[in-house]
Amino acid sequence: MRARLALLAALGLAGCRDPAFDDARQLGPNPALPEVEHYLVPPIKVAPGAGWARGATPTVAPGLRIQALATGLRHPRFVYVLPNGDILAVQAKSRPPEPVRRPKDLVFPLVMAAASSYPGSPPPLSRITLIRDADGNGVPELQVTLLDKLNSPFGVVWANGVLYVANTDAVVAYPFTPGQTSIAVPGRVVTPLPAGPINHHWTKSLTASPDGTRLYATVGSNSNVAENSMEAEKGRASVWEIDPKTGLTREFATGLRNPNSPTFYPGSNDLWVVVNERDEIGPHLVPDYLTSVRDGGFYGWPYSYYGQHVDPRVRPQRPDLVAKAIPPDYALGSHVAALGLIFYTGDAMPQYRGGAFIGEHGSWDRYTPAGYKVVYVPFRNGRPAGKPVDVVSGFLDRENGKSFGRPVGVAIDRTGALLVADDLGNTVWRVTAADTAAAPAIGR
Amino acid sequence: MMNHDFPRSTASIFGHPIHPMLIPFPITCFFGALVTDVVYSQSANPLWSWFSVWLVTAGLATGALAALFGFIDYFGDRRVRQARPATPHMLLNVSAMVVAGFNVLVHSRDGWTAVVPTGLILSAVTVLLLLISAWLGGSLAYRHGVGVTAIRPAADRRADGKGE
Repeated sequence: MRARLALLAALGLAGCRDPAFDDARQLGPNPALPEVEHYLVPPIKVAPGAGWARGATPTVAPGLRIQALATGLRHPRFVYVLPNGDILAVQAKSRPPEPVRRPKDLVFPLVMAAASSYPGSPPPLSRITLIRDADGNGVPELQVTLLDKLNSPFGVVWANGVLYVANTDAVVAYPFTPGQTSIAVPGRVVTPLPAGPINHHWTKSLTASPDGTRLYATVGSNSNVAENSMEAEKGRASVWEIDPKTGLTREFATGLRNPNSPTFYPGSNDLWVVVNERDEIGPHLVPDYLTSVRDGGFYGWPYSYYGQHVDPRVRPQRPDLVAKAIPPDYALGSHVAALGLIFYTGDAMPQYRGGAFIGEHGSWDRYTPAGYKVVYVPFRNGRPAGKPVDVVSGFLDRENGKSFGRPVGVAIDRTGALLVADDLGNTVWRVTAADTAAAPAIGR
Repeated sequence: MMNHDFPRSTASIFGHPIHPMLIPFPITCFFGALVTDVVYSQSANPLWSWFSVWLVTAGLATGALAALFGFIDYFGDRRVRQARPATPHMLLNVSAMVVAGFNVLVHSRDGWTAVVPTGLILSAVTVLLLLISAWLGGSLAYRHGVGVTAIRPAADRRADGKGE
């Protein structure tokens, strides 16, 4: 019996159960990394969308309170707070379907489609909505479309009188003074970004250097593990540095498979990013991670993972590059799909000050779901210190295997509340301390 | 006039058995996949591995069609089943299709391990099984006369004193 089970498992048909493994071993600086597995059918568990019942919310850690700040959005992926406290919810349609290269490309989108919508959910739109909650009571006075008909935007950042939007194909600049509730002028393209025709990882996220003179955009890989050849990966799997004045760009750091939410650690010039690692070599490979990125640093993709662990699926191999691969700082667990990152600088929840909130969109490449929550990673002296803690969870209906919502981008509003973009749930959630139901606006 | 001494092909059009008309498609596809696998293993250019997975897929689709008519012939006339190569021919073909079924999954992996080594080995095994099976299929047609509906050779007919 045991032998037969092993045989079936080897054939990839054992079905619906991951090998025993303590996920906690993949949290923190030195994750346990099991052997690479090759599958006939990789482990797949997609949680079809169910949406939130009226009044239902995610659950929060003790001492916290959660309420919907904005509902009725159209697939909000990222949330950003302007200096005056206005909140931008970036909503995006996925890029057009990838060209079909293999029979697999016909099947995969069908399997995945259920996870990004629920029955009756409105179709996503590529727009940015401005949400104003000037009194900070969690009930917006204004919710208005600021920019519409964008090209699958994700990142947004304001610096020196300019609002920069990272569409899937370009960074676009709009002159903007916080307080404005509409934008009349067309955007100016600062720089194009790698896009079609494949555009596999299409979310381009964006931040500005602390002095606002440089932009940092993330460009995810064009494949799982370079199976479309390295020709398709030019400028990808990297963080770009952009001079917003001239539009000149360079690759600041590379080998980051699907990096998102680049964020400077408060009060420093250290750039951090969360990265989605590769699929289809096991439910416990490869852990997604949080890492600081060094200028010129190479982080392994596609040739190796977590430092020098060579991926046998890549040819030609590049031992010269593998030798240079920097192991990331902090593992978040395999396939959790970490997309959102913000460091907590507020006063309202002092227990979180200095640490990172991370939005984990949730897994598909394993039978036991992982992610589908927002975690907190404590920091000390600007470095992660300690295990991650669940802050917002309950996005997954574990009994029925469905998802009510899926967290993506995270932000801190002017009152020190945590904002979470929920793309499936079409909601921006606001998390506050339980005893400050209606905190007065706190200036930063 | 029909010669009923030969095992009959049930699935035939105007006396032309369908199964032998279809088998060149899967055989060519599976052999082509072996060629593109070899080229991929020497070049690592992913386009060749995509050719392979489409060829294995097309081989499975056309092979399933050929199998359908093969089974109709196999079960349609007891004399077909009684021909000694018939059952091994059928089992080898089924085995080749099962191997190709695994192969299409292996070929759907990402990158090098979609082909080397398992995919390439399975492509070679598929072709090997089909080569043996094709020999047996040839025996069925050319030695056992399965599906043959021609009148007996002219010399025989003259000896019988019968005209055309």
